[in-house]
Amino acid sequence: MAKPAVILVGADKGGVGKTTVARTLLDYFIAHQVPVRAFDTESPRGTLKRFHPDITEVVDVTQVPDQMKIFDTLGNSQASVTVIDIRAGLLSPTLKALNEIGLLDSAKKGQITFVVFHILGPSIASLEEIAETAGVVGDANYFLVKNFINNTTFFEWDPSTYNSYFKKIPGAAEITVPKLNEMACEQVEVASTPFVGFVANKDGKGDAANYSFVLRGYVRHWLGNVWGEYDRVQLMDIVTPKGEGEARQAAS
Amino acid sequence: MSLRSFITVIASPRPRVGKTLAARLLADFHLHNGRAIAAFDINGEDAALSEFMPRYSAPADVTEVHGQMALFDRLVADDGVYKIVDLGAPAFKTFFDVARQIDFAAELRRRGLAVVVLFIATPDATSVEAYADLRRSLPQAAIVPVHNEILGVAQHRDKFAGPEGPLPIQIAALAPGLRKVIDRKPFSFADPAGADIPLEMHMELQRWLRKIYVEFRQMELRVLLTDLARSLGEPRSTQI
Repeated sequence: MAKPAVILVGADKGGVGKTTVARTLLDYFIAHQVPVRAFDTESPRGTLKRFHPDITEVVDVTQVPDQMKIFDTLGNSQASVTVIDIRAGLLSPTLKALNEIGLLDSAKKGQITFVVFHILGPSIASLEEIAETAGVVGDANYFLVKNFINNTTFFEWDPSTYNSYFKKIPGAAEITVPKLNEMACEQVEVASTPFVGFVANKDGKGDAANYSFVLRGYVRHWLGNVWGEYDRVQLMDIVTPKGEGEARQAAS
Repeated sequence: MSLRSFITVIASPRPRVGKTLAARLLADFHLHNGRAIAAFDINGEDAALSEFMPRYSAPADVTEVHGQMALFDRLVADDGVYKIVDLGAPAFKTFFDVARQIDFAAELRRRGLAVVVLFIATPDATSVEAYADLRRSLPQAAIVPVHNEILGVAQHRDKFAGPEGPLPIQIAALAPGLRKVIDRKPFSFADPAGADIPLEMHMELQRWLRKIYVEFRQMELRVLLTDLARSLGEPRSTQI
């Protein structure tokens, strides 16, 4: 059994693009043929579930039964990677809860791989979340994601202030999600299909669709850049340590 | 890949070098051969091509996404129509930037469509650099220099074709007096009868056209042969 990996995607603010990043991650792992499942904590709405209904379950991460549903199944799930889209404002409480249930200890012991994608908003206020979460993440693979998909500008950030927060998490790496053309972004939303499906001109059910070639081209280009960032930080090596990928390929 | 139709982009980063004339000649060459055509006039408010051939040409825009969709989605449609893009100098960079970003060339290959860029060659540095840059960034595309002798005798061929470069197309100089005939709007080379031209001028125009049509026909054959060589896996495929 491969070592399970848990990826938390969160921020303490709403509207910074957590679900978008979670969607690119699911597409990335599916494209690499890594078995993946997702939990959407936007209970009861479930935006992530709308795009990846087959592999996503909507849960309330503050409730113990749902915590059991996620974490007690880590060892026996078919999926080796579990992506959890944490609702706005729940990143710090979730990390604290995970600390209490011993998940972070398991990560320290090397029993699971624990990864945090912290999506950053444009203001200094959101940097304070880093200080707050730094205390509990321990040895997690911590990624600070600057999400420009909606053309968010980070001009308000003074580099020295940013660096002082950034350095509080040893080994934290930065990921940049570039801007996506507004109309292309909107059309993927309307289509309710994964990014990869949109690029391949398929609707949510996998049937042939008739999306604009131009918009598909923009999405393909953008997704390629986002995946390039995941490649740069060697995300595949983190979630499937050396040897497991080859074994999986040999088995398939 | 079987080439069912061509997309031809007539381009130069310089204004007033004969792009619209080349577009009109090519459009009429296709019509002369009984082909269905559609022309896209990317020249802002100066939509001269659309004035010359209003039935086949319409203004197009690449500065915003609606215009890009209207243009590129139509260009990649596999409808058997020969498409001509008259790419004005101000839109030159944007057009190729967008094309690169949406991977236009790869989509055309997937659909078995051929694209040819007719690059109007002028001796200035901007033009020479833009040509070299296009050749570098679109190594698979047929980028063919066009020497427009109406601008003067070409003395700059070496800047546009080395030993590995494509063979150029030549637009012969126009006989004196014909310019004002072909500059009337609308005007079709394929059907000049309606233009009320004296017989002598008509014959001269036909001679001039014949030379240019031979150039276009040879270019099409070279593109087909290159494509054939490519599909057979031959490495030598740059001689367009």
